[in-house]
Amino acid sequence: MAPAIELRGITKRFPGVIANEAVDLTVAEGEIHAICGENGAGKSTLMKILYGMQAADEGSMTVFGKEVHFASPNDAIDAGIGMVHQHFMLADQLTVLENVILGAEPMRSGGRIDFAAAKQHLVKVSEAYGLDVAPDELIEALEVGERQRVEIIKVLYRGARILILDEPTAVLVPQEVDELFRNLRELKEGGATILFIDHKLDEVLEIADTITVLRQGRSIATVKPADVTASDLAELMVGSELPTPETTESTVTDVVALAITGVTVTDEEDRTLVNDVSLRVHRGEVVGIAGVEGNGQSELVDAIVGTRAVASGTIFLLGDDVTRAPVRHRRELGLGYVPQDRQEEGMLLPAPLWENAMLGHQTRAPFAKGPWVDRAGARARTEEIRRSFDVRTPNVDVAAHALSGGNQQKLIVGREMTAGPTVFVAAHPTRGIDVGAQAAVWDAIRDARRLGLATLLISADLDELIGLSDTIVVMIRGKIVATLDPHDVTPRSLGSYMTGAAFESGATP
Amino acid sequence: MRRFAELPAWARWALYAALGVLLLTIVQGFDDTNRLTAASSSQAMLRWGMPILLAGLGGLFAERAGIVNIGLEGMMILGTWFGAWGALNYGAWAGLLLGIAGGALGGLIHAIATISFGVDHVISGVAVNILAPGATRFLSSEIFTGYDGGSITQSPRVPGVGHITVPVLASGPDLLGDVMRADVFFFSDVAGLTRGLATQLSLVTLIALLLVPFTAWLLWRTRFGLRLRVCGERPEAGESQGINVYRYKYVAVVISGGFAGLAGAFIVSPELSGIYLEGQTTGRGFIGLAALILGNWRPSGILIGALLFGYPFGVGLRDLDGAASHSLLLVNAIALVGVAVWAHRRGQRTSTILAVVLSGLAAMWYLVAEEVPDWWTDILPYVIVLVVLVFFTQRLRPPAAAGRPYRKGEA
Repeated sequence: MAPAIELRGITKRFPGVIANEAVDLTVAEGEIHAICGENGAGKSTLMKILYGMQAADEGSMTVFGKEVHFASPNDAIDAGIGMVHQHFMLADQLTVLENVILGAEPMRSGGRIDFAAAKQHLVKVSEAYGLDVAPDELIEALEVGERQRVEIIKVLYRGARILILDEPTAVLVPQEVDELFRNLRELKEGGATILFIDHKLDEVLEIADTITVLRQGRSIATVKPADVTASDLAELMVGSELPTPETTESTVTDVVALAITGVTVTDEEDRTLVNDVSLRVHRGEVVGIAGVEGNGQSELVDAIVGTRAVASGTIFLLGDDVTRAPVRHRRELGLGYVPQDRQEEGMLLPAPLWENAMLGHQTRAPFAKGPWVDRAGARARTEEIRRSFDVRTPNVDVAAHALSGGNQQKLIVGREMTAGPTVFVAAHPTRGIDVGAQAAVWDAIRDARRLGLATLLISADLDELIGLSDTIVVMIRGKIVATLDPHDVTPRSLGSYMTGAAFESGATP
Repeated sequence: MRRFAELPAWARWALYAALGVLLLTIVQGFDDTNRLTAASSSQAMLRWGMPILLAGLGGLFAERAGIVNIGLEGMMILGTWFGAWGALNYGAWAGLLLGIAGGALGGLIHAIATISFGVDHVISGVAVNILAPGATRFLSSEIFTGYDGGSITQSPRVPGVGHITVPVLASGPDLLGDVMRADVFFFSDVAGLTRGLATQLSLVTLIALLLVPFTAWLLWRTRFGLRLRVCGERPEAGESQGINVYRYKYVAVVISGGFAGLAGAFIVSPELSGIYLEGQTTGRGFIGLAALILGNWRPSGILIGALLFGYPFGVGLRDLDGAASHSLLLVNAIALVGVAVWAHRRGQRTSTILAVVLSGLAAMWYLVAEEVPDWWTDILPYVIVLVVLVFFTQRLRPPAAAGRPYRKGEA
């Protein structure tokens, strides 16, 4: 039997970078094949080539034994390949049905869409694979896990036999990951071939039948999960041991650096987003906030940073009442901040790196000399960040959008850490960055913690939360519902706190 | 209240309209005028509302495909010139078609700039708005100056397409006329307003009105419409399903320009002016955009918005003693009380206070002044736009990707 996909010698060059170099990949029909690698290892580029979004410079590609040349995703779809993107390709204000049938609409006469037939087919597909969705619901009303199901159905609706999933677990809580894996196994039962991109090694080992590791654009090895351990895989990926986020001894002092008392945040329509939250972060302490996304964490962070007004309550930064203080005042008091969306809030994408390195610190040395921008100082500092945080870039004058996501994130974290903050608010500081960079960020937080940094850490990576935090609080619907000692929790138990399941089953918070 | 919410949309809107007419009927009694519910008022409202409606629908096509079209005004200007030129040379119907073509040409320029070259939508739109009057003036100097009765700023009189009067209701048995003349409180007022809409109905007006359900059908029932809307909500989603986003955006913006051009041709038709005059669009392209916003990016909403904006014009037009305009002040005050109640029930304190204050000011003006200056009805549409934007912005759902630059392959 011909393999579902066979890639030979795929090479793709971008100006100044080789994204893929002579990559070989063989995916057997009906298997779950995982592609692992650090950020910038070329996983995404390879998948884009496979899905017809980019063309390879060299190499050949066969699908079910037939040589193919994709000029657009249309060709890939015709060949039976479907892609579930990491950032969902869904229009929020359209219904599930509209999103699913888009591009493959069943027609009646006169250009009309046959919505009845479409719905029938949708229900048939979703029942066949046990994927539960409501066709007439708007996407914006759905949870993340449901949206992902819609994405998968969208691909199946088109009759795809090969599914590419790009880091599908990045946005899910553990319970949702279980559900996804159950769905994937059912799909496999149904005869589908699944290509699964991930860098969470335990997940890969759990779900994959075969694993291919990419490093620096090359395919390094193809292994069976039974033959390897997580650390073997990590070594293949980075050529070093798997770092863990464990902190050693407690360095918590009794100096309160960040004190939040009874903070309530509401939106324009007076809905409560953050409900009477009180928190204390001491110098040398890391407080982690766990919660399913959209439960008030980001609004709380906005309130602390000063980009959102609080309805009531107080915020003290090192003894100063900053409840109504402007953002710059707070930053000058030593507030470091890693925003959750690096491209929206963290960077100016068209601006050079050295300008990006100034953001938030533009009023202080080495970026400013009186009212003037100190270009030399800014460049020198950016070089320093580049070196110590391993930001991979030809120089500091390239525009930020030329960097991969991981390198952008390293620049942001580096920018905040090198400024010597006393209070550090980090929203998903390691999201979407590779294990090497992750370790660098963790090290930076740990080192700073030893020197008395107070950190508020918001993360969806539960291992990271448990490993780094001295205290973990759980937020549901804007309220802190539990305060936990990280030594007493596992990712799984923490996940059940986050979804509220822990309370329903009668466990005490 | 719940029973009311369960009524079908058309029934709810009919009830709203009836309530509105009732309000007008009562209020105009204080000022001893009948202009607020006269047949001629509703007729004028319809005529004045149509260019706004067409511009609004044009804006709808562009923005649903993700392109902000602030150039509607300029495209409308092109429509006026080409509409007049076509009607003079090839007859009234050809005038409409050429008006559409002229506007579509403006749309094409906007499309090339925004879609192919990634120019900021507002900047490109403003460029079209600057370009259009210059182009039409040049064309007038080349062509209209050679016509009998034409000059560099105007054309000779332009012929129009025909009218119909709805039989039975407004002619022959003239049922509505009978009710109107019977002079029964409220019912005669409803009949008068309705008869105005059914009498001497221009075929262009009829076409414009029919374009409302047609647009709704096209955008929400067809494949073309679904794909176009995706371009305005999440173009990357369309691209990932193999949809040629650029093509849909192009088509949408050209259609958008065509609608604006038709609006321009409507303005030069005898319905409104019967002549091409430089500067005669007077910002109605922008009011069309306001109707688009007020109508929450939906065709029926745009129609309501266009009529709402056309109504003060219709009332002011023949309001010689100013009594009707004076009454409109009280209508405004009462409507603002409604807004205040609405805002209060949603717990929006600032909005409630603001609405109460504005209502009080309008009421005070009504009580103090014997009559209002004639510019009041002229600016009222703009005041309505401001009030709507201030109080209802949060309820509006613009297409998510409208105005966002889109480049293929960056998903």
